[in-house]
Amino acid sequence: MFAIREMSRRKLQFGLVTGVVILIAYLVLMVTGLGLGLNQLAGNALLAMDGDYFAYSERSNLSVIRSQLSEAQVKDLSSAPGVKAAAAVGYTAAAIEYQPGEVETGALLGIDPGSIAEPAVIEGRALTARDARALLVDRSWVNLTGTGIGDTLLVQVGLSAEPFEVVGVVDEGSFFFQPAMFMLRDSWRGVSYRAVDQETPYASVVLLQGDGLEGASGPNWEVVTKDTAFWNIEGVSAQQGTVDALRYMGLLIGAMVIGVFFYVITLQKIALLGVLKAIGASGLYLTVQGMLQVFLVSLTGTLIAVGLAVLTKATVLSADTVPIAFTTGAIVNSTVAVVVAGVLGAALSMRQIGAIDPIIAMQQQ
Amino acid sequence: MSLLNLRDITKSYGEGAQRVDALRGVSMAVEAGEMVALVGPSGSGKSTLLAIIGGLLSPTSGAMLIGDRDVARFDARQRSQYRRDQAGFVFQASNLVPFLTARENLLLVGEFGGADRAALRKRADELLEELGLTDAAGQAGNRLSGGQRQRVAIARALMRDPLLILVDEPTASLDSKRGAHVVEALRDAVHGRHKACVMVTHDLEMAARADRILEIRDGLLQAHEPAMQPASPAPCIVDPCE
Ligand SMILES: Nc1ncnc2c1ncn2[C@@H]1O[C@H](COP(=O)(O)OP(=O)(O)OP(=O)(O)O)[C@@H](O)[C@H]1O
Ligand SMILES: [Mg+2]
Repeated sequence: MFAIREMSRRKLQFGLVTGVVILIAYLVLMVTGLGLGLNQLAGNALLAMDGDYFAYSERSNLSVIRSQLSEAQVKDLSSAPGVKAAAAVGYTAAAIEYQPGEVETGALLGIDPGSIAEPAVIEGRALTARDARALLVDRSWVNLTGTGIGDTLLVQVGLSAEPFEVVGVVDEGSFFFQPAMFMLRDSWRGVSYRAVDQETPYASVVLLQGDGLEGASGPNWEVVTKDTAFWNIEGVSAQQGTVDALRYMGLLIGAMVIGVFFYVITLQKIALLGVLKAIGASGLYLTVQGMLQVFLVSLTGTLIAVGLAVLTKATVLSADTVPIAFTTGAIVNSTVAVVVAGVLGAALSMRQIGAIDPIIAMQQQ
Repeated sequence: MSLLNLRDITKSYGEGAQRVDALRGVSMAVEAGEMVALVGPSGSGKSTLLAIIGGLLSPTSGAMLIGDRDVARFDARQRSQYRRDQAGFVFQASNLVPFLTARENLLLVGEFGGADRAALRKRADELLEELGLTDAAGQAGNRLSGGQRQRVAIARALMRDPLLILVDEPTASLDSKRGAHVVEALRDAVHGRHKACVMVTHDLEMAARADRILEIRDGLLQAHEPAMQPASPAPCIVDPCE
């Protein structure tokens, strides 16, 4: 095959452009992975919850931090039409002292045992209604601090600190970039608001299962889908916007590099292509050969980049310090994107190839 | 009827004041097994005529018959197929693919479709041998000498067993000894394989090796024979080999 022979005989040129594609695809993949990783840190624990909708207090602007729901509101919205199950969830960020003088932040989530918001325990035991001083921690917390089941953590909100014992480990990820920690909602109220009375918020948000609840609202509460809830987590949209901008920039650069390369290669070959046309190659045949090269260069480059990215993640970034995450979907998506960018970038040259006038074969000395 | 028949071919380039009448009514015929040399001063229309015969250009008017088919009426696709299957071109610069070997250059024409690739492989070996290129078969196009290149180009033109061989100044880049060698090779191939051949040249010594010489001036074929007669004016009496 002409296209493949040419690539194998002109290894330097095609090797160089493939190398550049590798770098660009690697960049695109890492940025995509970083976006995914950041999103996981931002809201994995929320996405992992077993429900489809979240209810917020009306003036919270869909911020879990600012949302505060009273007991009456929670009762009211839990009995709204279409609701099949509801679970009140409290949230507070807390400083957690796990060794004297050693502090990390945790995302405290208050839940009721038996509700749909209760996380699955992967180690240790679940919370019971009597566990007022017990805590479930995410395994990222265990990785981060080395503390686990049986250890006592000092949970600090405001100026006071209260000891809680870790009784189980969960795999729910993070919330607001902090490892998720679960305690009884009553304990959460106590830790977060000290004096618990009628005026104390009953929950931050309510997790809901049901049908067609999107947009449902009532006195001072409103319901949105889990997806909307996720994208409204502070910083998530902005961060995704940044990641997308970098990605598109990478793809644009990829399209331009591949485009310019094939433009130059085509210009170099125009006389030769004219000869091939003059001796009977059709425009279609020549275009297909060109497209095949574009396709092979961008696909090979991207696949090598995928290998490198996965390797990087597994070795250099194996510690949880850089939040890079890859999913098959994201990898396939990025691969297709780079190949499409390459094909688009080279489209002009491909048109040029198809339109070469074979008469130029006679005009060469 | 002759294999190739041109009837009152005209070709004009450009429009209005810019118009150049490169051909002004050319009629000629070429038989199978005959090698015709086309001579004439620079700008007389030789290349234009050859490009029309080879399906690279459409004439402004007139008919260009191969058998009973009028190439002048072909659309772009038919012309492409005509160039592939019926007109074998040898250009002034041999125009081989530089990064392919001599043999691969021959086999390349098999990729253009409509051919039995296995038969082409056999044919490539035959042609390489016939043109004395067996030792050069594995050399890259850009490593061959000028004479070898032109012989590979001749072999390439013969690969798909065309009816016509069209040659544009095949010896321009060669010294006279090598040039003569290339033209001899061409003539043997044309006679041996019973092709009709039109060779453009300004070199009367080379032209003299053809069976017949046609002279063109200002876009018109000259009635009289050119100054130098062919060395062997006898028409082809070689048995058609196929
Ligand atoms: N593409 C073109 N556009 C305009 N005029 C052209 C074009 N090609 C050829 N001509 C003109 O047509 C005439 C015939 O040109 P052609 O190339 O056929 O001559 P030639 O006999 O092959 O000359 P040479 O021996 O120099 O190769 C010339 O006057 C030339 O200037
Ligand atoms: Mg010419």
